[in-house]
Formats: sequence, structure tokens, C-alpha cells
Amino acid sequence: MDSARPHERPTAFDRMLTPVHRWIWSDTDRRVQKLLRFGETETDGGRDILRAAEITSDPLLRRLYLEHAIDEFRHGVLFRHRAAELLKVSASRSSPGFHGDWLAPGGHGLDDLQVDGESDKNMLAFLHLSEKAAASRFTVYRDVMQHDPPTRAVFEEILHDETFHMNYTLMQLARVEPKRHRRHLWWARLSRLLKAYLRLATGLGGILGSMLLTIQYFILLPPFAWLAKRAAHRERSGWTMVSHGHSDSLDRQY
Amino acid sequence: MNILGISAHYHDSAAALVVDGVPVYAIQEERLSRHKGDAAFPLLAIESCLQHAGIEPDELDAVVFYERPMLKFDRILTCALRAFPRSWRAFPKAMKNSLGEKVWMRGIISSHLGVPGRKVLFTEHHQSHAAAAFLTAPTCHAAIMTADAVGEWTTLSVGEGERVANGPTTIRRFREIRFPHSLGMLYSTFTAYLGFKVNEDEYKVMGLAGYGQPTLVEQVRKLIRRTPDGAFTLDLNYFEFHTTAERSYSSRFIELFGPPRNPYEPIALDTAEGQRFANCAASVQRVLENTLVELTRNLHQETGLPDLCFGGGLALNGVANARILAESGFERVFVPPAPGDAGCAIGAALYCDRIHFGNPDRELPDHPFWGPSVDGSELARLAQEDGHFAAESQDGALIDQIADDLAAGRIVGWMEGGLEFGPRALGHRSILAAPHTTQMRDRLNREIKYREPFRPFAPVVPIEVVERYFDIPPGGTRLARFMSGVFPVRREWRSRLQAITHVDGTARVQVLEPAMSPRLHALLEAYGRRTGIPVLLNTSFNLAGEPIVNRAVEGYSTFLRCKIDVLVAGGTRVMKRTSATAKTQVDKIKQEEIA
Repeated sequence: MDSARPHERPTAFDRMLTPVHRWIWSDTDRRVQKLLRFGETETDGGRDILRAAEITSDPLLRRLYLEHAIDEFRHGVLFRHRAAELLKVSASRSSPGFHGDWLAPGGHGLDDLQVDGESDKNMLAFLHLSEKAAASRFTVYRDVMQHDPPTRAVFEEILHDETFHMNYTLMQLARVEPKRHRRHLWWARLSRLLKAYLRLATGLGGILGSMLLTIQYFILLPPFAWLAKRAAHRERSGWTMVSHGHSDSLDRQY
Repeated sequence: MNILGISAHYHDSAAALVVDGVPVYAIQEERLSRHKGDAAFPLLAIESCLQHAGIEPDELDAVVFYERPMLKFDRILTCALRAFPRSWRAFPKAMKNSLGEKVWMRGIISSHLGVPGRKVLFTEHHQSHAAAAFLTAPTCHAAIMTADAVGEWTTLSVGEGERVANGPTTIRRFREIRFPHSLGMLYSTFTAYLGFKVNEDEYKVMGLAGYGQPTLVEQVRKLIRRTPDGAFTLDLNYFEFHTTAERSYSSRFIELFGPPRNPYEPIALDTAEGQRFANCAASVQRVLENTLVELTRNLHQETGLPDLCFGGGLALNGVANARILAESGFERVFVPPAPGDAGCAIGAALYCDRIHFGNPDRELPDHPFWGPSVDGSELARLAQEDGHFAAESQDGALIDQIADDLAAGRIVGWMEGGLEFGPRALGHRSILAAPHTTQMRDRLNREIKYREPFRPFAPVVPIEVVERYFDIPPGGTRLARFMSGVFPVRREWRSRLQAITHVDGTARVQVLEPAMSPRLHALLEAYGRRTGIPVLLNTSFNLAGEPIVNRAVEGYSTFLRCKIDVLVAGGTRVMKRTSATAKTQVDKIKQEEIA
């Protein structure tokens, strides 16, 4: 087990991005949107950890996961309540164009959690790294929230729990896998990197696909759109008789 | 003959297995994946079906998908073309969505299950709804109406079905109303406008309607006009659901009804704004009911049949169903326990069996408990490991004990037998409580369900005494079998049934026959002996945002996270009381780590 237990301390990367975080959180509308999204992330994370509690065969882990899940659900409520309070005083309800989600992610951040089929040791390693990353980011968010003490207090409270989560996961990992827990942490780190790459690749693929489809939309579709609109004018409203010959065969996808 | 029915990809995916003409198992994917409204391809549900029946995929004679994917794609593409150039944002998303997976269902099913493509068949969406409604109902000849937001193109259809015992079956759909003219989309648009989730929270609009007055009916009527042939058409100037994916109502809609509700602000019914939203809900509810009543009245006159089978998502609207029963002329209205898209998995499989393969009609079990059974010993093990008090007892003693718990005001998580198929908990995965006081309702809302205070709770009552407490019309008990109708609580009982009486004096009652769920029926009787009123509050066993529990372990984790006092699974009863060992262990770790 690591000799020094991790505590909330931003990573160098997060510290470096402090000015960006300060800018992201400075706008009230953006803050509202981000808090709402954090609320969703925490609640989703809570459901995943709850699932882990339901499928583990280790009674102690079940109880710890359950505590953890309850914390995550509570964090979701805290974020949503704070966002609702800000919404009441916010002059504008429009959604800002840039949220900075990649730069300022929430609880489990950008991690995808696949609970079913995961062993306890993999789950613990994954949770430890996620919680550690979250604690690092939340420390920065708390520090840049000088101008908004209630939101700062929310981060403070959540940070307290995140510290417990990252510590208990490490301790339990060492318990269930005393000899190879470091190896599991490294595997989890590599797995996070791979997932990050896949997310990036999928994201880029999605953007490229959207661009190509949009180009096709404007170049290829206009004549078909004209025909479709003309056909729509000829459609009568009200009942349409069902033609039975067409729908009788179950072999057809049309 | 083994036929697997599948519904997937839009909301609430599910699988159902029909063996020799009889459904043997059906389950929604969300109950296994634990993601509410899971729309993913239902692999877990399919595996569960096959495992239950002990068959391999190659033993399946057919796998039926509940709609025709290419016909649906045709609608999506046509709508994008018609909305050109306003659809430019929605188009890439829609194409990626459809072409990425949804249109290739034959290949997907074939590759997942390893069955040849020729065994993969497709019914039309509303055919599946019609089959689910008619073929599971205990009637031989009935009119059929299906209505939802949209299938491929159809949004509402009418027809009739006929079957002969051990003989042939026919289902004929006479005519249909096509997208974008849709009662379901009208209701969903108001659902979005009122700040609720579309395809998920429509029932909240119905609950909210009870608090409002239909003062905006004339405005709603501007949105939906009747056509000379007795159908209806939407004025599309008020909607955007057919052109964009971002918003379902237009700026003209907002001009007519005012600013939409912020979903993150609670509805304060004592304010003018809150009352405006309640009036909106009441008005769209009234227009929906009137339209459905008129459509079914015409259908009754046309067919002259005494029975109506009603399927599709709109059949979940219990207030409208009760009005159809009362005013359409039909003597009986059959709504299946899963009238929405999940139920299409059963419908598609039965349609394939009776119509495609021409197999003779079979009498089907008339219950909703098609899912896996709960294991009481699993609960006993978990509770013992965590130091809770768990006791296993015989039925009679257990029921007496639970009746005592309920009479003492305890809230009971009740799990028995097979899991319900469909959105309602009908007594196998239910939270039960005394129905007498508003304090109990508020406690359930505040401490267990964590939900809006305006939403009502439902009662369950034995069929023998239902008329004593509820004003049930002839034929109403059938509608109430699966909680599909909303009926008045008799005035003289309202003060003693406060927790289940909605603000308008009604309740979405479940009428229980002993044969459908003997243990729950016995519990109701035992509770009646103690309190004089054999009625219990029955709400689904889940917390907000979560699917109904399936296994004992899920009931147990729910039990630990809220203020349910007693948990029952099969013959095991657990009381919430943590022993020193288990609690201290976690607390100790917590204190050490935080320090």
C-alpha cells in the first residue's frame, strides 16, 4: 500500500489550468449549466456504484459502496439545489455557447463506468483514480469560487466526501489484492488512457461525420426536399385507409 | 414453436418469449441493466428469456422485431426533407442515429443471436400494439384502437380482431392517422412545455391536471382540429417536433400559452404561475379525453362490438380510459399491463405465432407477472451479513406479521413471485403502506419516493369489496385489473383513504382477484381484519429515477437507502435495524480515512 495516503491536492495539470477554470466559472449562466450537469454526473455515478454494491459478493465492500453511492446521490442534490438557487437570481436563462466540459468535468469526469462484469479489484482501482481526479479538480473549482461563497461551500462539502472515497477505495484495493494492488492501479491508469483515446477518436469521428452529412444535406438534398414538400401538399388530412397487402408479410422491413 | 419478440431503440426496450403460442417470459431491459427506460438493444432481456426457457438461440423458430426499421427511416428522412432547410441541425444527428444501428436490425439480431436472417421477421409498430392489446385480452371479438406518439408513420389506428378458440385469428386495421398528426405528440409537447421529460413523465401531466381547471381548452383546440371524416389534424405552426430535435413547441405555442416552465424550479400550486401550469395540464388532458372518447364512440358505432382493446402509450392515461369506458358505448375496455412499446415485444411474438404462422388460438394466462421470480434466501443472506434482523416464516404467519406492520404504520417493501412486465407495480414489486392519512402520503413522497407532492398514490383492493370504497362503473373492474383506470373514491370513504385519494377525489385503483396474486389478496384481507378497511396504498418499489427492483438484492439496497421499515421477499422478512458490527465497521473506516 502507498505509504502516504492521497489527500485533496490539485495535480500540476489542474493547477496549470486554474486561469481557464476561473474564466469558465466566472459566468453565472455557465456556472448554472455546469452545476446542473455535475448534478447529473454525480447521480449517474451514484447509480453505477449502487450497482457495484448490488453485485459484489464482499459484504464490507457492499456496505462501503452503498455509503459511497448515497454520498454521490446527495452530491447530485447539492449541485442541483445550488444551480436552482443561482437560476432564481440569474438575469438570463439562455444557455451559453461554451461550457468547457472537457476542461472542467464533474465527479467521475469523463470516465465511463462499466459495472456489470467488473471484478472488485478493477472496480476499486477505477473508482480510486476517478475519485482522485475528481478531488483534484474540485479543489481547483473550490479555490476559483472566491466570488461565490455558497457554491464554494458546496464544493468544500463534496470534496470532504471525495477524499474519503479515494482513500477507502485505495485501502480496500490493498485489502482484496494485497500483493498486486499497484499493478491494478497501473492497469486502471492505462485503461483510462485508452478510454480517453477512444472518446477522442469517437468525438472526432462524430464531428467529421456531422460535417460530411451537413455538406450532403445542402448539396444533395434540395431537389429531393422540393419533391417531398410537393408531395406533402397533396397529402390529405384525417384518416388513411390501411392497405392490407403491404403489411401482411413479416419478412419485409419496409 | 419458440418465438422471441423484441422491442428496442426508442424507449423501454424489452424481450418476450412465446412457446407453443403462450408467453412464458417477458422482461424490460431496464429491470436487468438498472438504467431507467433503457432503450438499448435488449441483450440482457433476451439472454434472460432464453435462460428461463432453457433453450438456445438456434432453437428459436423466429425472432420478431416490433416495427419495420426501414419504414421508420423513410419517415425520418421524409420529415427532414419536408422541413428543409430548417432541419439542417437535426439531419446529421438523425442520420447517424438511424444509419449507425437502427436500420440494420436484421443483421444486428442475426449477429447477436446467431440465427439466420430468414428467421428475423418484422411486424408494424401498431400491429404489435394491436396484437398486444387484443391477443392477451380475454375476449374473442373486439374493436381495437392503438394510439401513441408515433410508430413508423402511424400515430393512431382503429380496427377489429377476432379469434376462435383453437382456431384462426384475424386482426384487421381499418384506417390510421399518420405522423405528424399525433395525439401522443400533442401530449408530449405539453409534457416538455411543463418542464417534464418527454416519453417518461407524461403521467406527471395527468397528475398535475387534477390540480387545475381546463380554462385553456379553447387555446388547446387551436392546436388540434377535427377533420370532417372524424379524425384530427394538428396545426403544425404551433409545433417543432417534426422539424428539429431541440424543441417540440414553437414560438407561436409560447405566445399562446406563455413562457414554459423551468424544469429545475418546483411547481408552486399556490402561485398564479403554478396554477397556470396546472390549468395547461388540465386543458390538454381534457382535450385528449374528449378526442379519444369521440374516436372510440365512432368505432363502437361502426363495429357494434361490446369490447374494446386499447394499446399504445396513450392507453396508460387512466383518466382517459375511464371516460372511454363511461362514454364510448363499449361495455368493456381491455388495456394490457404493458400497453407501451415494451409490450410490443409480446405483441409482435403473438402476432407472428397467430397470423404469420397461422397457429391456432390459445387461452393465455391473464396476469402481468412474466419476469423472474424473487429469491427470499438471497435476502436472508444479505440481511444476515449486514446484521439486520431477518426471519423466514410460513405464509400465514408472515402475512399476519406484515398486516400488523402495516396497521402499525410501517412502510413495507413487498417482493414476491414473478416480476411485473410493464410500468406498473401490481403487487409483486410494490411498496405497501396504510392508505388512511395525508401524513402517510407526504412521508412516502418526502422520505421514500423523493417526488413531487402533487403526484397521487394508487390503492389496491380485493375485488369482493371494491364497490364499497370506489365508484366503479360496470366493466370498471376489468380496467382496474392492471391499474388502467382512474375512478372516484366514494365520498364517505375519502376522509379515511386520504393517502390514495387525489385532489379531485379519484384514485388509480388496482382491483385484485385472489387468483392473480393470492398472497397479496390474503394480506389485504388480514389488514382489513385489523383496520376494518382492506385497502392498501400500492406504489412501485423503486426510488426516483430508478427502475422497479427485480432481484432481492436490488430491493435490499433500495430498502437501505430510504425509510422503508420492513422488507419482504418470498418468505423472508427483514426489519431495518443495524447491529453494532456492521455499522461500526463502516463508520470506523470512514473515521480513519477522513482523519
